[in-house]
Amino acid sequence: MNYRDVFGEVLADHHESPRNWGLASDSQVRENGFNPLCGDKVTLGLKFRDGQLESCTFEGEGCSICMASASIMTEMVQGQPLSKVSGLIEGFRAKMQGEDRPDVLPADDSSEDIVALYGIKRFPVRIKCALLPWTTLKKGLETHHA
Amino acid sequence: MNELIRRDFPILGRMVEGKPLCYLDNAATSQRPKKVVDAIVRYYLETNANVHRGVYKLSQEATDAFESVRSKVVRFLGAASEREIVFTKGTTEAINLIASSFGESNVGAADVIAVTRMEHHANFVPWQQLAKRKGARFEIIELTSDLRLDPKEVDRVLALKPKILAVSLLSNVTGVTNPVASLASRFKMVGTTIVVDAAQGIAHGEVELSRLGPIDFLAFSAHKLCGPTGVGVLWGRESVLSRMPPYQVGGNMITHVGDLDSEWNELPHKFEAGTPDIAGVIGLGAAIDYIETQGRTRIQEYEDRITAYVLERIVAIPGLRLLGPKDPHHRAPIFSVAIDGVHAHDLATFLDMRGISVRAGHHCAHPLMLRLGLPATCRASFSFYNTLEEADQLIEALMNAPQFFRRKNA
Repeated sequence: MNYRDVFGEVLADHHESPRNWGLASDSQVRENGFNPLCGDKVTLGLKFRDGQLESCTFEGEGCSICMASASIMTEMVQGQPLSKVSGLIEGFRAKMQGEDRPDVLPADDSSEDIVALYGIKRFPVRIKCALLPWTTLKKGLETHHA
Repeated sequence: MNELIRRDFPILGRMVEGKPLCYLDNAATSQRPKKVVDAIVRYYLETNANVHRGVYKLSQEATDAFESVRSKVVRFLGAASEREIVFTKGTTEAINLIASSFGESNVGAADVIAVTRMEHHANFVPWQQLAKRKGARFEIIELTSDLRLDPKEVDRVLALKPKILAVSLLSNVTGVTNPVASLASRFKMVGTTIVVDAAQGIAHGEVELSRLGPIDFLAFSAHKLCGPTGVGVLWGRESVLSRMPPYQVGGNMITHVGDLDSEWNELPHKFEAGTPDIAGVIGLGAAIDYIETQGRTRIQEYEDRITAYVLERIVAIPGLRLLGPKDPHHRAPIFSVAIDGVHAHDLATFLDMRGISVRAGHHCAHPLMLRLGLPATCRASFSFYNTLEEADQLIEALMNAPQFFRRKNA
């Protein structure tokens, strides 16, 4: 048995070949996320245009789940209207924390990638690792609006 | 040590993920034998009353049970008297008590406060903040490459004649043991007050004051010693404690309260404001009884065997980095490891899937982790109820870890 058997090809692939890695030099907002309990760190570079999140890049130092989650998230949110991005963040958080929130936009269930992340719920202590990039993005949007 | 001991700890019989629990997070907290839990239950069901208050029989029984633990701690540590034993919430509160009470009234802007690079946050942050409040100089004794106290650093800080030296008996991250007795003798020559964090040390070997040199304070928590959470002990030299102001004020710690001023109770009650954790203290007493029945020398000998056994095998695992010295004589059975390219969380989850409970993270030792350049490590820590078979389980899992985490194109 290896990592792929347990966590799946999708997470292994995002961890080994992270998408949108490296902060874009023209980022308008740089947001740091840190989990002081375990040392996971993620930095997002955000660029906005016409009410959309034009680009979302990241760098970080953390466990495979945190890094894979960041990679998957950047792919999902890039080019999306900010209102949809906020919905995706809240939808993902609610889904991971087992809340029934039909009022928020569910995270896109058609994506194989996000479904792979939902699988982390089997490891309750690791949910916070998967959430860190998303809570960091939420902070980044707040910084942008401020 | 054998299966009979394991039967004293009901939790060791439970399953995790369909596998027998292999509990290797003893540095975070130990498990409790049934006798300790029974003592707590018995107190609540049969003897419950507030202590130091009532004139009725039940209160006297509760007070006797509570105070008899103080006498037990006196014997356990080899202290001079009950006046030197203060019950606290744990090591953290004990050290905060010293930093607030002793620190506030004895440290000034011209003074130096010294700690070591390997201290737990509980024996680092209170001193750092005291130094900040007082404008005092804060010095950190740095470590050698194998994470022991660097003798040159000890000399450097000694020359500064620090007012306070705060040092742990052994590191919760690396298991390194510190030569506290010789440090204490040298620092006492320059007038330093020596504070010893025995949170980890108390569980490994015989912590006897007579062997620790001229130290002034020692703190430990019951829960690392098979006792309950929420209770700890501060030992202080009577001549030092008696000159210190109270830490908290309120009930029990006074002899007289007037409208404008109050008088403090005698030692150790001066430092025990409010109703204490009576059941917890009684649980600590049962834990000490249990440890003494097993025999501290016997526990130490068995743990030394585990340390040597694990060390020999763990250093031979390819691709695995063990923090700290490779010599069993300078460490307790606490092993922090890192594997290149594998985050400590992932490694801990991998071990958990095999029923092995370890800690992953910074172990409340940011200053040390910063120095190591590691965000987190995976730590396995043994107790006397762990078996060599459990050690084998850990070693086998760690040997398989690189294969488990092997990347596709590696």
